[in-house]
Amino acid sequence: DPGALPRPVDNPDKAPFTSVANADPRFVRLTCNVIPNSQSLRNRWQLPLGAVIHPLAPTPPGEEVPVVNFGASGIVRCRRCRTYVNPYVAFTDGGRRWRCNVCGLLNEVPADYFCVLDQNGRRRDLEERPELCRGSVEFVAPAEYMVRPPMPPAFFFLIDVSATAVATGMLQIAADTIKACLDRLPGDSRTQIGFLAFDSALHFFSLKASLTQPQMMVVAELDDPFLPMPDDLLVNLSESRDVVDALLESLPSMFQSNANIESALGPALKATYLIMSQLGGKLLIFQSQLPSLGIGRLRLRGDDPRVYNTDREMQLRVTDDPFYKQMAAECSRVQISVNVYTFSAQYTDLASLGTLSKYTGGQVYYYPGFTPAVHGEKFRKELTRDLTRETAWEAVMRIRCGKGLRISNFHGHFFIRSTDLLALPAVDCDKGFAIQIAHEDTLLATQTVYFQCALLYTSSSGERRIRVHTVASAVVGDLAEMYRSCDSGAIVNLLSKIAIEKTMTAKLEEARALVQQKCVAGLREYRNCHTQHRLTGRLIYPETLKLLPIYSLALMKCMALRGGFQEVSADERCAAVYEMMNMPIDRMLRYLYPLLVRVDDMSPECGRPGKDGKVVLPPPLPLAMDRLDPRGAYLLDDGLHSVLWLGKVLPPDFTAQVLGPALASTADLSNALVRPQANDVSKRVVAILDALREENSVYQECVIVRQGEMREHIILSSLVEDRGPGSLSYVDWIVQVHRMAQQKA
Amino acid sequence: TVIMDFQEMEETEGLRFSWNAWPSSRIEATRVVVPFGVVVTPLRPIPDMPLLPYEPVLCKGCRAALNPYCRCDYQGKIWICPFCYQRNHFPPNYSEVNERNLPAELYPNFTTVEYVIQHTPASPPAFLLVVDTCQPEEDLQELRTALQQLLTLIPESSLVGLVTYGTMVYIHELGYIDCSKAYTFRGDKDISAQQVQELLRIGASAAPQQRASGGGLTLAPGSPKVSSGVGRFLLPLSECEFTLQTALEELRSDPYPAKPGHRRTRATGAAVSLATALMETCMPGTGSRIMLFVAGPATHGPGIIVDTDLAMSIRTHQDLVSENTVYYRKSSKFYQGISQRLVASGHIFDVFANSLDQVGLAELRAAVDGTGGVMVMAETNGHEIFRKSLQHLFQKDSEGNLVMSFNATIEATTTREVKVTGAIGPVASLRKKGPCVSENEMGCGGTSAWKLCGLTPKTAVAVYYEVVNQHSNPIQAGQAFFLQFATQYQTSAGQWRLRVTSTARRWVDGSSPTDMAAGFDQEAAAVLMARLAVWKAENEDAFDVLRWLDRHLIRLAAKFAEYTPNDPSSFQLSSNFSIYPQFMFHLRRSQFLQVANNTPDETAFFRLMLNREGVLGSLVMIQPTLLAYSFDGPPVPVLLDVSSISPDRILLFDSFFYVVVHYGSTIAQWRKLGYQSDPAHENFRRLLEAPLSDAEALLMERLPLPRLVECDQGKSQARFLLAKLNPSSTHNSNQFGNSEVIFTDDVSLQVFTEHLQKLAVQS
Ligand SMILES: [Zn+2]
Ligand SMILES: [Zn+2]
Repeated sequence: DPGALPRPVDNPDKAPFTSVANADPRFVRLTCNVIPNSQSLRNRWQLPLGAVIHPLAPTPPGEEVPVVNFGASGIVRCRRCRTYVNPYVAFTDGGRRWRCNVCGLLNEVPADYFCVLDQNGRRRDLEERPELCRGSVEFVAPAEYMVRPPMPPAFFFLIDVSATAVATGMLQIAADTIKACLDRLPGDSRTQIGFLAFDSALHFFSLKASLTQPQMMVVAELDDPFLPMPDDLLVNLSESRDVVDALLESLPSMFQSNANIESALGPALKATYLIMSQLGGKLLIFQSQLPSLGIGRLRLRGDDPRVYNTDREMQLRVTDDPFYKQMAAECSRVQISVNVYTFSAQYTDLASLGTLSKYTGGQVYYYPGFTPAVHGEKFRKELTRDLTRETAWEAVMRIRCGKGLRISNFHGHFFIRSTDLLALPAVDCDKGFAIQIAHEDTLLATQTVYFQCALLYTSSSGERRIRVHTVASAVVGDLAEMYRSCDSGAIVNLLSKIAIEKTMTAKLEEARALVQQKCVAGLREYRNCHTQHRLTGRLIYPETLKLLPIYSLALMKCMALRGGFQEVSADERCAAVYEMMNMPIDRMLRYLYPLLVRVDDMSPECGRPGKDGKVVLPPPLPLAMDRLDPRGAYLLDDGLHSVLWLGKVLPPDFTAQVLGPALASTADLSNALVRPQANDVSKRVVAILDALREENSVYQECVIVRQGEMREHIILSSLVEDRGPGSLSYVDWIVQVHRMAQQKA
Repeated sequence: TVIMDFQEMEETEGLRFSWNAWPSSRIEATRVVVPFGVVVTPLRPIPDMPLLPYEPVLCKGCRAALNPYCRCDYQGKIWICPFCYQRNHFPPNYSEVNERNLPAELYPNFTTVEYVIQHTPASPPAFLLVVDTCQPEEDLQELRTALQQLLTLIPESSLVGLVTYGTMVYIHELGYIDCSKAYTFRGDKDISAQQVQELLRIGASAAPQQRASGGGLTLAPGSPKVSSGVGRFLLPLSECEFTLQTALEELRSDPYPAKPGHRRTRATGAAVSLATALMETCMPGTGSRIMLFVAGPATHGPGIIVDTDLAMSIRTHQDLVSENTVYYRKSSKFYQGISQRLVASGHIFDVFANSLDQVGLAELRAAVDGTGGVMVMAETNGHEIFRKSLQHLFQKDSEGNLVMSFNATIEATTTREVKVTGAIGPVASLRKKGPCVSENEMGCGGTSAWKLCGLTPKTAVAVYYEVVNQHSNPIQAGQAFFLQFATQYQTSAGQWRLRVTSTARRWVDGSSPTDMAAGFDQEAAAVLMARLAVWKAENEDAFDVLRWLDRHLIRLAAKFAEYTPNDPSSFQLSSNFSIYPQFMFHLRRSQFLQVANNTPDETAFFRLMLNREGVLGSLVMIQPTLLAYSFDGPPVPVLLDVSSISPDRILLFDSFFYVVVHYGSTIAQWRKLGYQSDPAHENFRRLLEAPLSDAEALLMERLPLPRLVECDQGKSQARFLLAKLNPSSTHNSNQFGNSEVIFTDDVSLQVFTEHLQKLAVQS
């Protein structure tokens, strides 16, 4: 019975609660909340062992991470292994010493930090000390945690102003949006800002505070880019505010009639590096075409169907030119984080351009075939969020784990410095990371293992801070215990990232095979240890993993992994990869199994604020075509895109109300978006959309398709339970998994 | 023998010959010691000179222009060229010409005529300002004021452009109006003209650069691939005045400060190179000026003269002699290259060196001298020499046109018996070969045509000749021979003109010194020798110029003086030669040849000036003039001798570069006591005023402005005068008596003359 199959719609993701002494699951989730005591047990488990970390995850009001200031005594850490003091350390000798929970060393308690113990051997001040009772705390870092004075927030804009770029209309929106955000940039009076425009030449802008108009200096020599002046290219925003305003005011008209079609991105980047390298900060690149001049110029290589299913296929998904990786490494070294915005309808080699973001903690924004009418609002909203969200600067993140274990792999956007230190020139609430844990010792000696994730960063206000998340986990010797304690949300997230990274070194087919193999092997092993069910011939799975098959199927069908050349263009696939590698658990699950709701026939409370103030959503529906009623209208949202599907026999009344009279009578809706109309139906639909957009680094524009039209494929590929080209339906998939799980490995 | 008034001839012809009668045989000619030469002032205003609104009639044999010395057969409609003896037909429009109906160019008294060449379209000149910003803000403010004033002098229709530099070079795009915009270039690189065009996207080579191999980009239809820099970097002043003013107002001291113990990083060479490239792309063949305003030594990139490190000092003459310089040769060569490019496109290069330090004029000189540019040395941007020289340069004629002229070629035509050996002046060779050109070279030789990118009515060129007629082909003494100078140039209004000066002199029997002597113009001869001496000193390795001058003088005296052999007391020079030894005496002691007390930059400046001044100006440079003002009557010339200093005299000393008003001690005292304000001493007031107003008049006619020094007898400022006076009271003559040709420096004129007499009479 397909209807009885487990689905996300009936089983919303929820992290198992462990302990207040552990970091809140919104920050850290282990794929399994117990740790196998041996390598062999770990191997039997088959599924990825690791954690998903979302170090700056947004917190609801009242649940903020407590800030601890040790003041003069300094931050209390284990002398040997540098673990931060945490709820799992044990105080002894009447409170004069403490034993490190990770390495076991007895440390002296600093005099300022001393407190007597109660009869249970617990410090009497335990309740007032968040670092001793809470799994997530933030320490104010003293001077020794700084290699230089804390940097001010810095924003540098590298803007393609070629004829191609001007033609997209992106320049005007970029300038307007930046201008509108100037008052909201983090950092107050400390914020620094700078601009560089480029086509075949580099256009620098002196923003010296004493000027009334910016001065443009052009460097056309690309072989060895240099700065036209030593200062005033990256300036204090509040001091130079008038000049910055003047520049943004005139920037679009300056290049309005530019006939230059070249793009010297590489030289422009080198020049930008020269400007920013003293300070670091966020670099936003607005690129509208394939870089055509100078170092880092790229080839049109991504739309060659012949390389698919050959050994060269994966090269399309990694950069072709060592320049980008070198540049990214250099940027990371000097604390520059790169966000790449691309606007071209043509191939732009995101695999290469995105490398800049991938290694610098950045983000890639992709607006294929940018047109202001369709993408303008999205671009504006996303750029606004990028500029105004709270950002942690010049950060490094280190994850420590207990003896016998090690971090074998890191996933996400960062640069690995000195084996286990993740360099994150900038990081914010929209960035998630994943790690894999491996056994170093064949047998673990302890009952509990600890993980501690420490993010050292500079806040926008110029304070150096360390956010520490600590998690303790029991060591077990029983496989069944592991199955009981596993966290499918974390598993799906980690598995997705592992599969995506596989596509960098292998064919898509092999990456999909990996997903299938993990899913099947995990279930087979479960079956093996529950021999009593073997004969029933039914597929059995632990309660904790019941959604693993559907998510695995969805993963194989996602943009990053599905099909081949025809299904997804090289740039589209890369864009999806960059998004997914940054995704925390909730966004990944939503992306893999989008939300589908019916909006034409909603109960009265839907689309209006509920008791908790949040907009009430209609009940989610399974992602299958046969759930779509031709008389209905449905909204599908995967966190990156939204689609409003209009059934063939939907009452025209509804269409007119939601789309507005003009659009409702338009045959071609390919450039149409759902926009608020002055009626209740529209307001409720838009309220739902806005609720879905909230707290999302991406602003999903809602496109519209009618049932049966050519463009319907944009929703069909999201209906992951249906059979697709070269992929199975959910039912067939379950049958296949079942069959394979019965076979011997 | 007829007494010839050489100055009067100069006024009608613009020419001064060293010899006004030439021996007809080659062998005799080589014995007259002083070379045959003419100081030509091509654009000298000639009273009543006709301005002809048509094209000249040219000889089909040698391209000489029809002139009064042609033999014409009006019946046969034929004229015979006096240079090559070619028979030419008059053009059809000359059919009405006859003895009573002559065109102006055939009038006997119109030996100089000027044609307005109609066919060439007029184009206004461009002025590209190249500004060094390595100076303190206060200095820059003064410069800004000067440049803003300059803009009021430049005609509205003239094109202007702006290049600023320090560590980098910025070419300002004055045609861009959205904000101030400048293209930036590294100061340490010499970029080829083609690269500059590519980078600025101007000129024919503004083609796309290398592109992505598979990029698949195509040019948008109609996208301008080629554009001229006019409209972007050079615009009519009337169109870009606002952006230019804004750019000048935004001028700030170069943002790269000097490191401690270092000079500022100043990329003069790169700036000049880029300016040259811009102009040769935008204004090829159109007269224009590149005006460099430099505030210190070039320390960066091509044309460097010294490192920024203050531990390294700027080269001296001693360093140049001992080849103890790192950059001199290379940098000089760099500017010679620049000079050739400027000449090829007809552009003038001016340097305004407002600096206490040397800026590198010695190296830069090639570009200034080769293009007829102006070189001004003032210590500061506020200095009167700078401000007034700039005004002088942009003075206008009665019709409101700038007096400067552009882009000239001067061509010398000779009769068969005479060949051109070369020219010395602000010229560059056009490498025009032909029957007129000698194989021997004096100065810029091997050609009969030269380029003068910039010239004024005062610019004077020395042209040297040799007589090639063989002894076996006697010419009767008294017969005439002819020379012609044709100068084509562009006026500041953009009009093309051709001035033709034709002249005749007589052949004489060279074996008769008296015939020769009558035609000797000792002033012109001294100037022609001075130019040659400086040329040789600079261009001929290890040339001992003093020995050469002495030997010449002795040989000349031996040939033309009257004396009994071996009897110095019998030595007698005719009046035509009488002051020539004095000129040589002063030339030997002058800053042109005695360089030790000057910097190489100063020497470059002095020599450059000698190379372009006319006879009178040059003589003042060689032998300054001294006028004495007293109550005894009108001012009188006095000997350039310390003995001329007297307590009750005011001396007005003029060495061309310095004008000194020297007050005798009594006069100074009276002035101190304020007698001049007392109506009872009206005479004294007038006495004080006269030399000053005369000095002012001298100042105003020169470019650059001379330095005016007022000093009292016995005060330190008086050194400017004392250095130039003949040290008659300090001579110690007893050490002479050997036959050494070299005179000891700093001997008195008297000792010098005695020595000359002694050596000349030795047979
Ligand atoms: Zn420890
Ligand atoms: Zn002829």
